[in-house]
Amino acid sequence: MTAPTVTPTTSASAPTAGSGSPAVPAPTVAAPVRRRRRRPRVLVNVIAVAFCLVWVFPIYWMVNTAFKPSDEVTTLTPIWFPLRPTLENFTRALTQDGFLVYLRNSAIVVVSAVLLSIVVGFLASAALSRFRFRGRRAILVAILFVQMIPSGALLIPLFLSFQTLGLLNSYIGLILAYVASVLPFSIWVMRGFFVAVPVEIEEAAKVDGAGTFRILWSVLFPLVMPGVIATSVFAFIAAWNDYLTAYVMLKDQGMYTLPVWLAGFSTNKGTDFGGLMAASVLFSIPVVVFFLIVQRRLVSGMTAGAVKG
Amino acid sequence: MTSTAERVPGSAQAEPGTRRGGTGRFRPAGSASRGGRGPGRTPGRRSLTSSRAPLVLLAPAAILLLALVVYPLVRLLVISFQDYGLRAIFTGQAGFAGFSNYTNVLTDASFWPVILRTALVTGAMVIGTIGIGMAVSQMLTRLGVVMRTVVSVVLVLAWAMPNVASSLVWQWLFQPFYGVLNWLITQLGVFGDHTQDNWASTPGQALTIVLSLVIWQAVPFVALTLYAAQSQIAPEYYEAGSLDGASAWSMYRAITLPALVPTLLLVTILSVIWDFNVFNQIWLLTKGGPEDTTLTLGIWTFVQSFVSNAYGQGAAIAVISTLILGALTSYYIRRLVRSGEEDL
Repeated sequence: MTAPTVTPTTSASAPTAGSGSPAVPAPTVAAPVRRRRRRPRVLVNVIAVAFCLVWVFPIYWMVNTAFKPSDEVTTLTPIWFPLRPTLENFTRALTQDGFLVYLRNSAIVVVSAVLLSIVVGFLASAALSRFRFRGRRAILVAILFVQMIPSGALLIPLFLSFQTLGLLNSYIGLILAYVASVLPFSIWVMRGFFVAVPVEIEEAAKVDGAGTFRILWSVLFPLVMPGVIATSVFAFIAAWNDYLTAYVMLKDQGMYTLPVWLAGFSTNKGTDFGGLMAASVLFSIPVVVFFLIVQRRLVSGMTAGAVKG
Repeated sequence: MTSTAERVPGSAQAEPGTRRGGTGRFRPAGSASRGGRGPGRTPGRRSLTSSRAPLVLLAPAAILLLALVVYPLVRLLVISFQDYGLRAIFTGQAGFAGFSNYTNVLTDASFWPVILRTALVTGAMVIGTIGIGMAVSQMLTRLGVVMRTVVSVVLVLAWAMPNVASSLVWQWLFQPFYGVLNWLITQLGVFGDHTQDNWASTPGQALTIVLSLVIWQAVPFVALTLYAAQSQIAPEYYEAGSLDGASAWSMYRAITLPALVPTLLLVTILSVIWDFNVFNQIWLLTKGGPEDTTLTLGIWTFVQSFVSNAYGQGAAIAVISTLILGALTSYYIRRLVRSGEEDL
């Protein structure tokens, strides 16, 4: 058998299994288990092509519409490719609507919230993974529980408190609201990356006389760096995509983030679907790029935990 | 808030595996050794010992979480017992109302329909997602490298789309007169003329577009996760099966399914959490309408609090939703806590 990994018996009992770092890319796309049976491949390939056509269609239609001049957008019979491709939808979305203002708002709020959550979460996850102390377990269960709370539940009290504090319609208010949702999961995820680092490395540093914070900064931080980056990207996407919180907290159009502006686009502009699709493309690009970078790690992490069950 | 509930990789629930690393190949039924209990995971392997250090490290996070999560949750509970409306917002004073918010919500004519609808909609989303996800995962194992890569890229693209953007694309796909899917469905010739349909304002059709959007975007995560698990099953089992002359279907049932059970459980529970909390897609497509046919608990909470400004009642609904979701997922939390025992 030309299986890419070792035989099942040895690998399942291998002691290295538990300490495998999540940084190791898992065989999500490559390295399949080859099926020996050569059943007719035609049927399954036909199904796969049909599936791809259906699943990619909405994205294709978004991009297709974005590049069409307006008279090709609203036609009773669909036009499958832009006959006269144009960038006018993009320029209209970018210039007329203050796109850059909303982009700046989104960038400021999302980057601040992610930075704050990652720095604070890094320290906390170090404490929760590298130390033993009273109440640690309770804190972890609480952090896990917080993630199950429905979206709207935290929003009501936060909205009312921010109303009192005058934080509605401000960067700080929205940043804090995002920290409330991003921080718990950042702690949880980064703790996972910490736990995967073998303890012997720290012990070696300790023998060499390094102090607690020195070890944390010079030894552990570089090792969990890939995990920190992945967590930051997850956090970025979550905050970047948020619509509900920003929709509730922001009143001035000048303060809108991209999702709030995008969601109001069609109502403001009637049926400018060319512009709307162009704006959707622009909004989605950073997310898709970041997503492609971290997707493999996510799936590998998921299965490792699930299979262990 | 919304963010953790959304189907982005950041969703915290997705993590628990990360810390466990690769556990090697799955060994179906009867394998005695539970993967990954080697020396690397001995309990108490913590070298940094200092009594003050963890407190110092935890302090900033503790302050933020107490202020931004714990206090709001307590306040949510308090508000749910208060007469908190517009007047309270302006005066800053809210009188206690006892259980009246809860009795109002529970006796509201929409309460049971909303609960039932949320259950059915969530159930339909979860079943649709898991069913298609299992089929796609199985399909991936049978494809060659090129086709498998193509399908994976398509899946990741659909998964990565921000749901605000995909909701707007759905609006456009199903637009009356100009929507390309209205045209396509009409061309099929089976369903009659649908070119002029306004899906978002026709009761049954509104639900159809919401379900199709959510399932479209939810399938990739389930399919790729299940496929990753399936590719860990040792090929020897299938070889043995085919030597014994087992059919593809019976091998799927006897080898694949048992091996997938833990992963299936996990993705099912995560799907329940995510689908129960779907907000953006419904709000942007139908706003809960028409005639309340897409009004779920999440939308109802939002409408009561931020449209009708009845924050007390909104809070009561939010508390009830939290309890329901908690009951649905308590099994998952318990299992996570138990399986992570050696680390916790």
